[in-house]
Order: sequence, then structure tokens, then C-alpha cells
Amino acid sequence: MSSQQDDLKETDTEARFEFKKEEKSAFKSEKGLTEETVRVISEDKDEPEWMLERRLRALEQFQEMPMPTDWPGQPDLSEVDINEIVPYIRPDIDKRGGADSWEDLPEEIQDTFDKLGIPEAEKNALSGVGAQYESEIVYQNMQERWEEKGVIFCDMDKAVQEHEEIVREHFMTKCVPPSDNKFAALHGAIWSGGSFVYVPENTTVEMPVQAYFRMNSEGMGQFEHTLIIAEEGSEVHYIEGCSAPKYSAFNLHSGGVEVFVGEDAHVQYSTVQNWSKNTYNLNTKRAIAEKGGRMEWISGSMGSKATMLYPSTILKGRGASDNHITIAFAGEGQDIDTGAKVYHNAPDTKSTVESKSIAKDGGRTNYRGLVHIADGAENSSTAVECDALMFDNESTSDTMPYMEINESKVDVAHEATVGKIGDEDIFYLQSRGLDDDDAKQMIVSGFIEPITEELPIEYAVELNRLVELEMEGSLG
Amino acid sequence: MSTQAIESLSEDTVRRIADERDEPEWLLETRLNALSALETAELPDVIQTPGRRWTDLEALDFEALVDPLNQADETERTAGDDEVVVLPFTEALDEYGDVIEANFGSVLDPEHNYLTALSVALFTTGTFVYVPEGVDVEDVTVRAEMNSRSLFSQTLVVAEESSSVTILESIETGDAEVADDRYFSNLVEVVAGENANVQFGSLQNLDDDAYTYSLKRGVTDTYATVDWIESNFGSKLTRSDIETELNGDGSESQIVGTFFGTDDQHFDINARVWHQAEQTTADLVTRGVLDDVARSVYEGVQDVGEDAWNTSSYQRENTLMLSDDAEADASPKLIIHNHDTEASHSATVGQVDAEDLFYLESRSIDSRTARNMLVEGFFVPVLEEIAVDEFRDDVEELVLERLQ
Repeated sequence: MSSQQDDLKETDTEARFEFKKEEKSAFKSEKGLTEETVRVISEDKDEPEWMLERRLRALEQFQEMPMPTDWPGQPDLSEVDINEIVPYIRPDIDKRGGADSWEDLPEEIQDTFDKLGIPEAEKNALSGVGAQYESEIVYQNMQERWEEKGVIFCDMDKAVQEHEEIVREHFMTKCVPPSDNKFAALHGAIWSGGSFVYVPENTTVEMPVQAYFRMNSEGMGQFEHTLIIAEEGSEVHYIEGCSAPKYSAFNLHSGGVEVFVGEDAHVQYSTVQNWSKNTYNLNTKRAIAEKGGRMEWISGSMGSKATMLYPSTILKGRGASDNHITIAFAGEGQDIDTGAKVYHNAPDTKSTVESKSIAKDGGRTNYRGLVHIADGAENSSTAVECDALMFDNESTSDTMPYMEINESKVDVAHEATVGKIGDEDIFYLQSRGLDDDDAKQMIVSGFIEPITEELPIEYAVELNRLVELEMEGSLG
Repeated sequence: MSTQAIESLSEDTVRRIADERDEPEWLLETRLNALSALETAELPDVIQTPGRRWTDLEALDFEALVDPLNQADETERTAGDDEVVVLPFTEALDEYGDVIEANFGSVLDPEHNYLTALSVALFTTGTFVYVPEGVDVEDVTVRAEMNSRSLFSQTLVVAEESSSVTILESIETGDAEVADDRYFSNLVEVVAGENANVQFGSLQNLDDDAYTYSLKRGVTDTYATVDWIESNFGSKLTRSDIETELNGDGSESQIVGTFFGTDDQHFDINARVWHQAEQTTADLVTRGVLDDVARSVYEGVQDVGEDAWNTSSYQRENTLMLSDDAEADASPKLIIHNHDTEASHSATVGQVDAEDLFYLESRSIDSRTARNMLVEGFFVPVLEEIAVDEFRDDVEELVLERLQ
């Protein structure tokens, strides 16, 4: 094990994620969602007129659309009342768009991100890092050598000002229009913060770029927008981490992620989500891959009360490909409804989905996936594999894949298994002197290994630690 | 989802059907209750993904399709053994009224949905099969011809403790001239007592003016087995649901499905099992072929309840596409509430393997014949699951016919 891994292991993960801060903000909008709120947010950000228009149009769509309630077996959203959400909180920072160094940040924000281990990670492994606290990016840094090549990594609000043309063309137009679903519309109306990543043609950003999102205040919503544009032949790996402490009121996270994968470009998007267990995590993430482009989604869903998240990829150009690797862990009171959607809209496109889930202490996991192969998408192939592991009889694990196949020259396969932890495996490990808890933990680590090995080391360690943490207490 | 009132349908219609058959009061009541349930009942659930319902049952024009007082069928029923009772449903009421009353609707609620309620209110044909304790019969056959615009059929199978029965049912269109579209509705209930073994095979080959709805459901007692074979070849639109509730410890169910769609046929095939007792086993296997602009929708559900310890549940669905214009949709679902479970499902869609085709052609078999051989071969794993020779031959013959 590397020393770096040791360092991270020593940090007490629980303390890293569960602490909360006294709420201190410079600007806080009223609860609820009205045209006035939207105008105030837009004005506070000094946005161009077109962005305000887009927000207002999205608000209209949000108000017209019904809540999704009739999906078979979907999580209960009856508690999600937008009138109880504070949609926008600007933390107390002097400089818009984030400080350039950690030292410039107010102490409690510095302290928060220190606890999350972000400064160390930046020093060690990242090309750039952005950190969002409540609704705004509070820190943003990109290593010079990438900046020189024309790589842009900044917060989304700043991108609207400084890269207006490109944002105007791509922002919620082709990839995730607000009309996509009710929460995409909500997001379109009150989005704030998030990251903008632009990688010019034939540029490879060798180290991952990272953004970290943190919700600190009670009863707030976080609506960050991430827009990644990877031009022809470029390559980038973006990592997103999220957390929020637990309050008695519910929190809502409704982010939007849009990824444009140019011809022969390669984008990897990794997330480890550990929202507190009263957060509703209702995200929309989508990528469009041009000819020969490759999109990879890697996600770990650990936290939240309910998650509805189905990262999707539109394989638009010939030979484009997509890989999804997901892991979901649902403990007591959690309903993690997640999956993957892939649209094969061109010939010779390929996709694979590898999904693992663990349910325990009455938690529910569901794989809800869609593979669509359009007429004319010849020689496309897709393979979906889902495995679920269950610990006890109170937990539930469902698998609901949908496959729509309009083309005959294809190769489509879906496989799913559900099983309990093997008694024999436990016995074997116990006979080697491990106690029951350690044995189970070891089996779970082995079960999720195909996922963790795709992640950069510090995320793999974090994911493993989170899993260990989730398993403590109930086994014993 | 709104359901439609059918003008020709009234309490009088239902009473006439019951009177003509001299039915007992309880059945008339059941029919009338089903009739009034039509006002609120919904059409069966169909799979939907955002923006799309996979089967459009709302488009069925029941006003035009349903002609309740002119139902006609020619049905031949044979029992291989004196010990088993095989009677037209309505005739059986005289002698076996008590058994029928005790079991009717116990497996399949007449008010389950709009189409089941319609069927129970209006049925005129069907079969009652009663297998007394310990009796073992292999060849019960029911060959039905539909000779009217609409036909509603209701079948009840009661297999007592340690009995065993194999029933083969087929439906096709008779010679009677019926202009325009027609509607065939088929409800089957199977009650399998302790240690009983019921195999129910069904072959639907109606002409392509027909719309069909069938819902077949079985329940198992301890150690009982209910096996289904469901073959769909005919009809313009087929909605077929095959379901087993595994209610007894150690009970089992196998659902074998085949379909072959050509032209613009639409198949909505559903196979579902509920594991509600310990040590239950289910095996769902469906294979279908689509040509021209035919379309299939498949949903399989394996639901493992909280008390279903030590469950084994398997599901496979494979579709072979012969045409670029065909469409296959599939959704195999797992719903698991007990961790002491081994469950898996898989689904594939593909075309005739180019290498296999090349291999056969290189043995100087022309490409059409080669393709047909491979399609026949595709059905083999499912045909092998069919234990009854006669039924297997019928299915094979229909596959060949389709390939001509």
C-alpha cells in the first residue's frame, strides 16, 4: 500500500463527512420558488439577459410538468416540496468565482475542505480542483501547464461571463434541455455554481480534474451545473465528490451534468456521492458522443435518502462507445434508484454497463436501465450486467432493465444476478481466523473491486472506507 | 386511462347469457359484479418508459369488437382417462357446482382489470378440468375454433392432492365468415393441491384479424408444480400474461414461452412468478422470432417475497430478429425482498449468426434453407422443455409454416 493511501486511510472518514458548520452566508434567498427568486439569483450573479430568459423559460416548464409519480417502484418523493427549499445561498466570500488559494478562504470554509482532504488531494494527484460550498464555487485552481495549452477549468457562473459564446451554445440546449424532466427544469431555473471544463483539440489532460460539492446549511437545495466540452481527439478525466451533513429537514440536490465528447475524444466522469441520509438526490447527467468518441461514467452512490439518477449517453457518431460502471449501497431508510441509459443512434456503436449494488438493514437498491438501439444503428452491441448483494431480509433489491431494439443487426445481452453473501465464503474466511464482521467486509470489498479498481487511488480508498463505515454497527 | 362503455352491454345482456345456461345464482352475481366493475376498472398495465407506452391497448375499439350475444365456438375436449373430469365449463356447473364455486375467482380476481371483468361478465365457453386425489392423466386436450366476432372463454383446473395432469389447449379461427376484426379473451385458473403436478400448454394460432387477451394464473400448494407452455403464432395483437403464485413450501413453476411474429403482428408477452413460500423454484424461458415489421414486448417478473427463504429463480429471454424493420423490447425484472435467494435473469436480442450461416452455405445449403435451419435450431432449447410430443410437433410445424 502506498504511503498516500495510508495517509488517507488514517483520516477518520466519519468525521470527514458528518461534521457541520455554523451557517454563515452573505446572501440567502427566500424559501420557495417564484419568478422573483429566479430574477434575484440571476441579478446577484450579474448574468446576461439570455441566461435570465433561459431560467424563466425553465421555471415555466417546471411549473407545467407533473412530479414523476407513476414509475413502477420509484422512490417516494412526497416529502419533496420545493416551497420548503432554500434554492440559493451565497457563502460569505469576498471574491466571486472562487479564491485562488486556500488561505484566502474564510476559516470555516477552509476548515471544511481540509476535513474533506481536498487540499492534500490537490497537491498530490490533480490537474485542477474546484470546490463548491452551498451554491457557489469558493475555490478554483488549475495547474498552469494545462492553462497554457488552452484548457479551461472554472466555475460555471464565471464561464457565463468569460466564455459566453461557447456556454450560450451548449448550456442546456442539446444535451440536457430543461424539458427533459421536472428536476432538469427546476435545475434550469435556479442552477448555481458548478464547473466548466473545456479541453481544446488533441489535448490530453493527464491528471484528473476535480470538483467537490458540499451542502452545509439546513433545508437547502444545491443545483450545480457541470458542462464539459472535450474537442476532437482530446482526453480528460473529471471527478466529482459530494457530501452534506445531516439535518432534520430534508435537502434537495438536483444537479445537471452535460458532457460533449468530440470526435475520437475520451471523457471519463467519476463520482462518489455521499450526501447525508436526508438528501433527495435527483440529478440529470447526459453525454453526447460524436464519431469514435468514448464516454465513461463511473459512479458510487452511497449516501442520500432517495436517489433517482440514470446517467445517460447518446452515441451519436459512428463507432462511438460508452462504459458505465456503477455501485450503489443502500442502508437503513435509503432508496437508491439508479441505472444507466444508452441510446445507440449510429452504426458500430458499443456500450457496456456493469452495475453492482448492496442492500442492507432495510435499504432498497434498484437498477433501472434503458438501452435503446435505433433503426439503422447496425453492428451495435451492448452488454449489461447487474449484480446485487443482499445482507438481510428487510432489504430489497430490484432490477428493472428496459431494452428497445429497432435494428436487427445487433448484439444485445443483459444479465442480472441477486444473491446473499455465501455462507461457505464466510466460513472459509472465519476458518482463517477472521471474525464474522471482517469476513463480510472482505467479501463486500471483493464484490465491489471491479468498480474501485477503475477509480483513482484516493477515491478507491474513500469508497472502500465509506463501505466499511456503512457496514459498521449493523454487523456485530 | 379511461375505459369505454360498450353500448350493447347491459345487465340484461349478462342475465341472458346466464339464463340461457341455467346458471346458479352465485355465478350470475359474479358476472353482474364484474359488469359493474367495468365502470372503474383500468386496462391492464403495459410497460412504459418516458414518452412511450409499449402496447397500445387503448386503441382497441370494444364497441366494434364485442358482440356478446352471438358467441360461437366449436370445441373438442378429450380426456385420456375416465377418472378425470373434462367438461365444457357451463355444463360442469350441474354436477360440480360446489367445486367450481369454491375455486372460481380464488386464483384470478374477476375484477383484476377491465379485460378480466369483461371476460367474466360475458364468457360462454371454456373448460372445467377436475383431477381427483391421486389420479394421474397425461392427455387432456381442448381444441377450440372461434366462429364469431368475439369469444370469451373461462377455464378452471382443479388438481387435488398428489394428482397429475397434462392439458393441451389450442385455439384457431373456424370457417365461419366474420367480417372485420375480432376479439378472443381467454382466462385460465389453475389450483394445484399439495404435491399435485399440472402442466398446461396453450397454442394460439388465430388469423390476423384477431385481437387476443389471455391471462393464465396458477397457485401452488406444498410441493406442487405448475408448468406452463405458452405458444403464440397468430393474431394481430396478442397480450398474454402467464403467472404463478408459489404459495406452498417446496413448490415449483416453469414457464416456457415461444412466439413467432411476421407482417405487422404485435406480441405483448408477460411471464411472472411470486415466490411466497420457502424453497420455491421458478424457471422462466422464452424464445421468440420476429420478421417483417413484427414487434414484441416482453416483461418477466421474478418477485421474491419476504418469507421466501432459500429461493431459486431463473429467467431467460432471447429474441431473434430476421428483419431490420422488426422491433423487440424486453424488460426482465427482479424484485427481491429476501436475501436468501439465488436469482438471475438474462435477455438477449440478436440476428441469425453470420458465421453459422456461412458454415451452412459452405456445405452447399442455399441461404434461405440455411437461415430456416438456424431459426428452427433457435427454438430447440425451448422445444426441449416441452415434455409432450404432440405439442412439440405442433409448435415445430407452425414454426416451419411461418418460415415458408
